[in-house]
Amino acid sequence: MAEEERDIELENLFRKKLDGSEIEPGSDLTGRFMSRLEHREFFRFNPARFNLYYLTAAAAAILAAGILIFSHADEGSQNPVAGNPVPQAETGVRPADPPAAATIIVVNNQITPVRYARAPASTDEVHSAGGNDSQGRNTNIIIPTRQADAPMKVAGQSGNPEIALRYKGMPRPVIEMSESSGCVPLRVRFRNATSWSSSVLWSFGDGGTSTESEADYIFDLPGNYTVTLILTDAKGRTSVTSTIVEAWPVPKAAFEIPENDVSLTDGKVEFRNLSVGATHYLWDFGDDVSSGLNEPEHKYDRYGKYDVTLTAFSENGCADSVTVADLFTDAGTYIRFPNAFIPNAGGPTGGYYSQITDEANQVFHAVSSGVSSCNLKIYSKDGMMVFESDDLSMGWDGYYKGQLCTPGVYIWKARGSWRNGQAIVMAGDVILLKY
Amino acid sequence: MSEQQIIDGCIRHSRKAQQLLWKQYSGFLLGVCSRYASDRPEAEDMLQEAFLKIFFNLKDYAGTGSFKGWLRKVTVNTAITYYHKNLRYKHNIDIDEYMTTETGTRGFEEDFYTAEDLYRVLGELSPGYRTVFNLYTVEGYKHHEIAEMLNIDLNTSKSQYSRARAVLRKKLEELGKIKKNYT
Repeated sequence: MAEEERDIELENLFRKKLDGSEIEPGSDLTGRFMSRLEHREFFRFNPARFNLYYLTAAAAAILAAGILIFSHADEGSQNPVAGNPVPQAETGVRPADPPAAATIIVVNNQITPVRYARAPASTDEVHSAGGNDSQGRNTNIIIPTRQADAPMKVAGQSGNPEIALRYKGMPRPVIEMSESSGCVPLRVRFRNATSWSSSVLWSFGDGGTSTESEADYIFDLPGNYTVTLILTDAKGRTSVTSTIVEAWPVPKAAFEIPENDVSLTDGKVEFRNLSVGATHYLWDFGDDVSSGLNEPEHKYDRYGKYDVTLTAFSENGCADSVTVADLFTDAGTYIRFPNAFIPNAGGPTGGYYSQITDEANQVFHAVSSGVSSCNLKIYSKDGMMVFESDDLSMGWDGYYKGQLCTPGVYIWKARGSWRNGQAIVMAGDVILLKY
Repeated sequence: MSEQQIIDGCIRHSRKAQQLLWKQYSGFLLGVCSRYASDRPEAEDMLQEAFLKIFFNLKDYAGTGSFKGWLRKVTVNTAITYYHKNLRYKHNIDIDEYMTTETGTRGFEEDFYTAEDLYRVLGELSPGYRTVFNLYTVEGYKHHEIAEMLNIDLNTSKSQYSRARAVLRKKLEELGKIKKNYT
């Protein structure tokens, strides 16, 4: 009897035994937690502790200081270099160098002998140099200050892109090149076809230079580049020529498929062309059909794994293509039937299901996506049809003519079609459980 | 150090105070976590999450009410967060669990079952049942509060509770038979 009295309710048992009960965590868990805490605190802002924010701020400060120091250190040397070949050209024509330096021939229609004035350092002074000098004589010195525009000014009159700034009697350099135009990235092989030069300097018009007699150069960005070749002979005399390279832009191919077309809602797909910089297009739909339209529409007969490729061409014939693989699969479409359900014992529910009846699993119905129509029939084991519906939103509530069917196995059969027209034929069994 | 000193130390993120707090309460809170977890590793994970929350939110502890109670509340909330994370398994209930109906109303012999036994049977329960049972029985929340916390229907809370109770009873009775055979 005494033992009986010590029996208690389930709730009390759990409450008494577990409320406030302690479990020793063990030292390894303590260690693991402490390192995790440290790690977490490191990534959290807290002014009182060393953490990531301090580290970042310190790194930024060091970086800023570094940039400041380096930019100061560079200042002295940067101006003469700057990837600009012109100062070298100037040194070539300095009067101190060869005796012939007193005259410069500028290749335009008037060949004017001029007095040489020392090349000023800044561009502003270059422009003012083309006026009257201190002795009142007309000076006409053209010193290319920027490799791109200064020679072009000279060339303007003759319309010839090649200009030469050279010593009297010196042959003009000859440039041989593999390409004068093409799509970016454009690779051009330049060759100095002159034999007399002792030193070579190429300037490619985008800041790049080379001192090789044969130079391979890649233009990454579209544009017109003036490539300049400066040759110096053994006596230090200089001659310059330049030519133009056209690097054409490449279009960017891109397309989009409307979201409900991806699941082949009606088999038809409208492709949206999002390409940039192109004038004509070639579509490959992945099913051996192609199109040259801008925004084509295509019909697929069945689900599959199609690779769609769009190639976009610019007016110069530069092309870019993009492929999207494995499109229009049946991944977004499914139909599934449960294998058991528990009808409401209180009476027929009518078969229309909702989230609430689903929680209790009271109605047998398909869960589907991408189905356009479905006929569901359910038979008892002895072959009698107990339910039929053409409506996907209506399932079987487990009743036949108002009577709850006996628990057990029932056979179902579904016939219908997917939204793209493909047929669905399925069958299976379901257990009717007793509530 | 007094409790208030430890709390102040933790707010300053003093490592020593944090260690003292852990030492003092980790056993108690691991006990709480074990009720909500299906096994020891999960409980330890929950405990670590709970302590991180405690350490980072300690300044929000108003000082009213018992500190232990506050710690426990934070831990239970962590367990509920865990439950939500595993929400996709919420409806996965063992068919045996679902079909069990309560048999008998006999009481239980208090000294016969150890705390470990109870932790084990709780651990075998599905997360939904376990959480509802714990919140109702041990934490003492009302069904409508539980429904709100877990974002479920009021009736779901009630039915899960009564099913959990039935399953626990069955498991405890089975365990009792085995234990009696061994002793």
